[in-house]
Amino acid sequence: MRQCAINENIMGMIIKIAWRNIWRNIMRSLVVIGAIIIGIWSIIFLVGMVNGMIESYINNAIKNEVSHIKIHHPDFINDKESKYFISDITAIKNEVDSITGVKAVSYKTITNAMISSSHAGRGIMAIGVVPKYETNVSGVSQKMIAGKYLTDTKKNQILISKRTAKKLKVKLRSKVVLTFQNLDNEITMGAFRVVGMFETGNNIYDESIVFVCQKDLNTLLDINGNGHEVAILIDDLSELDSIQAKISKMYPDLLVRNYKEVQPELALFQSQIKMAGIIYMVIFMLALVFGIINTMMMAVLERVRELGMLMSVGMNKMKIFMMIVVETILLAMVAAPVGLILGYMTTSYFNKNGINLFFYSEEGMKQFGFDNFIYPNVPTDTYWQLVVAVSLTALLGSLYPAWKAIRLRPVEAIRGSFETRDGLMVWLFKFLRNKIRSIWT
Amino acid sequence: MDLIVTKGITKIYNPNKIPVHALQGIDLTIKKGEFTAIVGPSGSGKTTLLNIIGGLDRQTEGTVWIEGTDLTNLSDNKLIDFRKNKIGFVFQSYNLIPVFTAAENVGFIMLLQKRSKNEIDTRVLNLLKSVGIVEQMNKRPNQMSGGQQQRVAVARALASKPKFVLADEPTANLDSKSTTDLLDIMENLNKKEDMTFIFSTHDQRVIDRAHRVITIEDGKVVSDVNSSIN
Ligand SMILES: Nc1ncnc2c1ncn2[C@@H]1O[C@H](COP(=O)(O)OP(=O)(O)O)[C@@H](O)[C@H]1O
Ligand SMILES: [Mg+2]
Repeated sequence: MRQCAINENIMGMIIKIAWRNIWRNIMRSLVVIGAIIIGIWSIIFLVGMVNGMIESYINNAIKNEVSHIKIHHPDFINDKESKYFISDITAIKNEVDSITGVKAVSYKTITNAMISSSHAGRGIMAIGVVPKYETNVSGVSQKMIAGKYLTDTKKNQILISKRTAKKLKVKLRSKVVLTFQNLDNEITMGAFRVVGMFETGNNIYDESIVFVCQKDLNTLLDINGNGHEVAILIDDLSELDSIQAKISKMYPDLLVRNYKEVQPELALFQSQIKMAGIIYMVIFMLALVFGIINTMMMAVLERVRELGMLMSVGMNKMKIFMMIVVETILLAMVAAPVGLILGYMTTSYFNKNGINLFFYSEEGMKQFGFDNFIYPNVPTDTYWQLVVAVSLTALLGSLYPAWKAIRLRPVEAIRGSFETRDGLMVWLFKFLRNKIRSIWT
Repeated sequence: MDLIVTKGITKIYNPNKIPVHALQGIDLTIKKGEFTAIVGPSGSGKTTLLNIIGGLDRQTEGTVWIEGTDLTNLSDNKLIDFRKNKIGFVFQSYNLIPVFTAAENVGFIMLLQKRSKNEIDTRVLNLLKSVGIVEQMNKRPNQMSGGQQQRVAVARALASKPKFVLADEPTANLDSKSTTDLLDIMENLNKKEDMTFIFSTHDQRVIDRAHRVITIEDGKVVSDVNSSIN
């Protein structure tokens, strides 16, 4: 009936002491546990938020403007002149369309132009699109806030952004005039009717472009059958490089670039967010390591007599050291899962429902190309990095107190006096203290 | 062979500051099976002597042999193992691990010695029986009285099958009933298992129970009276 509690090995015993020691001073342990939980949670949330913002920015950019892969005349990107066009662009569209993994293809004619109403004029980029293709590739048709998207039926329709409309003081069905140079450097102009207004969320982009039908623009430019850009969406981003390579091979004379090459800042953003995550983690670890040292030092000081007794009866330094280290790691192991789960739950909740960080301002982050609603998204890596970071921090934070514990001399410890042979740290501490004192006085 | 032999032991604390001559030449021989009290007023050097015999501290001069082994020759790490396997300790207080039960406190020292689980289980039970703590075996120290805690400490001291038990004022914090109980238990173990006990005290009731009384004053042996029958 009576059971002896001794049925384990020495490591099991050390873990048992360490575990029970955690709960001897519950308040003190809870403070450290709480700090770890809050630290982990806030890092997950922060990484999720920043990542969500960057992702939304990139997705917006891809949807509205960049697409996954673009084809241009090699000279066009430096010098957006109409003469650098791609011949027989319809044929290219059809060829690219038949590549497996390609979701949608569109082509367009692009030219710098002046848009003017009876009130004002502005320099913009006029983009001539084929509506039935463009709607498959670009999200602009879903960002209409007034009127309708372009159609093939009527001639000389134009889409402008709400912001441009305001600047030009025009409404739906107003007439505007586009002025530009044709291939022979002659000034050409055409009157267009505003059939719709859009708002993509990126104000800078919105103010710089207008959409018209490609055939209208081609007629004015006199480049029928040609165009300046082929934009391609693919099904699976992991195939980006292989599809890009395939297309490059097909058109050796043309420039084929993916979205990272078209907008290098997108890739830069992605690497920066990773850096930022690591920096938060390092700051968190630094703060935590001092908290842990402090707590475990208090624990060691509180148990000087007990440690002295353990050493006296034959517990060796290795085991005493382990006891303190294991206790610290267990402390972290209690806290880490809670922090990870809390972080996961918070970010997944907001990932579904979105979080409006800019509710106080209508404009918010839109002017910079971000959505006002952010959907935090945490890369799986972050969780692993945190587990490693917290374990390392606990280990690091336990080393000094554990080292102090094994420097105790049993005879003195058992009397309750905390006199250790002065170590390097003590010497350093005293040295710094005296230095500070001498500066102070 | 004699169990413990000391020759010319001196101990000077703070040799570089204000030196304290705690022990000034102690020559002693203690045989197996003794039940010996080290007696003397506070500050006479009892604890210092026990610490040196127990390998917890090093003497300034002189030699200690335990079963012929010169402790001076043992490194600090060897000394820890020596204490673990050869010596049982009972201190005045803080003997037990607060987060362990009575049984765990007795058993853990055998775990340190890497003994088998079966052996540990039976021995823990037997020891707790012999000190009358079976009912409290699953209690933690703070759930036991001071007398019960000291009895667990005695059981713990014997668990490692030591050559002798050193007890530094084991009854100093106990009332007279608990003191008598503890001495009964120790004397019984001494008789039955031929376990050697060396304990320090300045309590006359405890002194009266000892078979041999070594009195020290100012770090010197002033009398050594053997009243045991054998
Ligand atoms: N760590 C120490 N440092 C300096 N002096 C000490 C130390 N430990 C004991 N002493 C001194 O040594 C003498 C003997 O002490 P101790 O052995 O503790 O005597 P007792 O146990 O008989 O009371 C006392 O004068 C005491 O003050
Ligand atoms: Mg003493």
